[in-house]
Amino acid sequence: MSALQSIRMVELAQGVAAPLATLRMHDLGAKVIKLEEDAGDWLRQVEPQMPGQTMSAAFFELNRGKLSVKLSDHPGNAAAQLRHLLRDADVFVTDKTDAQLGDLGFAKPEDSLLLLNPKLIFVQITPWGDQGPWKDKPGSELTAQAMAGYTRYLSREALPACRLGADVAGAGSGIFAAQAILAALIARRRNHQQGQKISISLLNSLLSMKSIHLAAQTNPDHYSGPRVGGANYPPEKGWMTKDEPIFFAFGGSVGAQGRPGWVKFIEEAGFNRLLDDKRFDPIGRNSTGYGAKVQELKAEYEREFSRYSGEELVEMIRKYAGNAATYQSPAASIRHPQTTALEVVREVHAKDGQRHEVRAYPARFSNMKLTPTGVAPELGEHTQVVMNEFQDPTV
Amino acid sequence: MTTSTDNNPVHPMGADAQPQGPLQGFKVLDVSIMAAGPWTGALLGMLGAEVIKVEPPDGDGTRWVEPTQMGMGTNFLCMNVNKKGITLDFKSPQGIEHAKALVAQSDIFIQNFRVGVIERLGLDYDSVKKINPRIIYCAISGFGEVGPLSKAGCADYIMQAYSGFARTNGPPGETLEAFRFTGFLDLTTASVATEAVLAAVLEREITGEGQKVEVSMLEAAYEIQATRMAEILGAKECPEPMGSQSRGLVPDRAYPSLDKEIFVTAHNDEEWGRFCLAMEQPQLQQDPRFDTNAHRVAHREELDQLLMPIFAKRPALWWLRTFERHRVAAGLAHQFETFRYHQQVTENHMIEQVHTQDWGSVSVGGLPWHFSGTPCRITPAPRPGEHTQTVLGGLPS
Repeated sequence: MSALQSIRMVELAQGVAAPLATLRMHDLGAKVIKLEEDAGDWLRQVEPQMPGQTMSAAFFELNRGKLSVKLSDHPGNAAAQLRHLLRDADVFVTDKTDAQLGDLGFAKPEDSLLLLNPKLIFVQITPWGDQGPWKDKPGSELTAQAMAGYTRYLSREALPACRLGADVAGAGSGIFAAQAILAALIARRRNHQQGQKISISLLNSLLSMKSIHLAAQTNPDHYSGPRVGGANYPPEKGWMTKDEPIFFAFGGSVGAQGRPGWVKFIEEAGFNRLLDDKRFDPIGRNSTGYGAKVQELKAEYEREFSRYSGEELVEMIRKYAGNAATYQSPAASIRHPQTTALEVVREVHAKDGQRHEVRAYPARFSNMKLTPTGVAPELGEHTQVVMNEFQDPTV
Repeated sequence: MTTSTDNNPVHPMGADAQPQGPLQGFKVLDVSIMAAGPWTGALLGMLGAEVIKVEPPDGDGTRWVEPTQMGMGTNFLCMNVNKKGITLDFKSPQGIEHAKALVAQSDIFIQNFRVGVIERLGLDYDSVKKINPRIIYCAISGFGEVGPLSKAGCADYIMQAYSGFARTNGPPGETLEAFRFTGFLDLTTASVATEAVLAAVLEREITGEGQKVEVSMLEAAYEIQATRMAEILGAKECPEPMGSQSRGLVPDRAYPSLDKEIFVTAHNDEEWGRFCLAMEQPQLQQDPRFDTNAHRVAHREELDQLLMPIFAKRPALWWLRTFERHRVAAGLAHQFETFRYHQQVTENHMIEQVHTQDWGSVSVGGLPWHFSGTPCRITPAPRPGEHTQTVLGGLPS
């Protein structure tokens, strides 16, 4: 049994956000029909491609198990196809703006879609929100990160900008969209089968996820430390050891009182001169990790850390209830024994028997046993099948 | 006190406000501390559930984490919106009894204690489901509940290091850069946990059965890196820092202009064509080195050598307007003071001001979703133990 077994979703969207949301709905049992136009989802063309195939690795991961329908190149026919598929759908996820949906026959989309199908949950994911002067302005992962101030907390003001390497606007919006779909399905079950519209945007998602920074910068009692240092802080690269950088903190959090465990660690490691240095404050709030004095004390730590490997230090710090890790590459991380123990990486099988590694649903349930299934479809691979199933007169 | 809502941005309302949203009628007991657990509770509260946050007598540690605003940790203020606050001492039998009585009335239970601690308190899933078999029990951990690191402590910046998140940031040729502290992976974990809890709630609506939901910061960190992880698993390539550029799309980066950087993306060949027109370089569109994204990625340095001198001739604002006219994604870098009152941000309620009784007005992230049929709202974090008497007074004697 899985939560969405009888749910049918229609996705008319590209890239990361909507496809990630519907991928997770597929994992939970929903049937997902992916509608594509022209040359298809732009993510199909994104590098790197899978070895020996003309399939983007990212596209494969985010679209496995879905049915691909190529919409007609004729606008009138495409509108008819869309209308037909949405008539009995439970969820419609799109990254089209209101104006673009108007071109597909849905002027005033919320009203016209809910008139067509009153139980429909209509999720619209835009770059900048569905209100305001930018509601029709094109956007991207990069421009959303820049607008949300994310580039301010990487690199340094006078240096070239850096983005977060992860597609956090797209993936973050996808997770919020998945939440919204599930919450709306719950409400629909309790509310006489009524559908509704849900608006999500890349910028909104990034700002919601930045709540800690927003609150920290509102009117702080003291304007110092890593949360409010912003572009004045140098790039954060942890502490160098004999062989690799690490990150560590005692007391469990930024600015927490970590002195007791820290003292034991310092004594075992033989860094005793730090115990007498008055810059290391008596409760450890500012100095036993990533506190307000992190930059001032960095050189002192690194002088001592140069005697040990990263792994040796991490082990010692954990022994005394500190938190620590070496900076792993993503490839090393996903093959680490801890990740393996969680069975994060699974295999799906293509029709030709070929096996592909994918990530499983990112949580586990005691009652629902979720197994990743399916491969990503070729563009329009299921057009005929889906349209026949729904007896589309235009096909 | 005032708060904000989708329909009515500012109106008098405090932590006692009646919850509203798609989860109205659901009850959540949140015994978590710091960020990942509390923001899970906050998101469920924003969705309309009634959330009771349980704090130990000396309070959630985030009340003291710097920076503070009028003496209260700003972390606490933003991570605990949409909750009632009570104090229970889990070191006393009475505190545990009260917790169990609240468990009996709850739909969802959230905890993020280190693996092993919750069992000692008698609030592990096996114990809780005996009290309330329909409960959705959400357990949030750093590295998961099994494996060699299951008992290791974790926090946002530790997971940035461990999961590879930091190893994909920084200028080309560098090896890493951490995202200066936003608690970003804490909030990602909360976001994944909320999704998983909602899936379990929906399942319960169908089957009537509760269940345990396990969420780790590690798996959440991979989820937010979904595309990068796909490159490792699907293409056997490990991503590296690329400055403002992306590995897979060209053009998609910040270009220095006459005055400052302009951020530009062309997602497909059609947008690439418009990009070329905006640059007044129509011949580039059909140039065999650049006519497909794969070719542009393969020749990205050649392309940048052609584009850089052109960008350098004009200011960023000129380019911004030009790309807007050609419908190409383009933008400038912002910071708190330039985006907090930006019309696009305010009209879409992407940042909200919550007005607390004791700690002034604080900016928090806005609702991440906007429901037309079941609108949600944000209410301020509770004062320490503000609702202890009311909540405990309502328990059966």
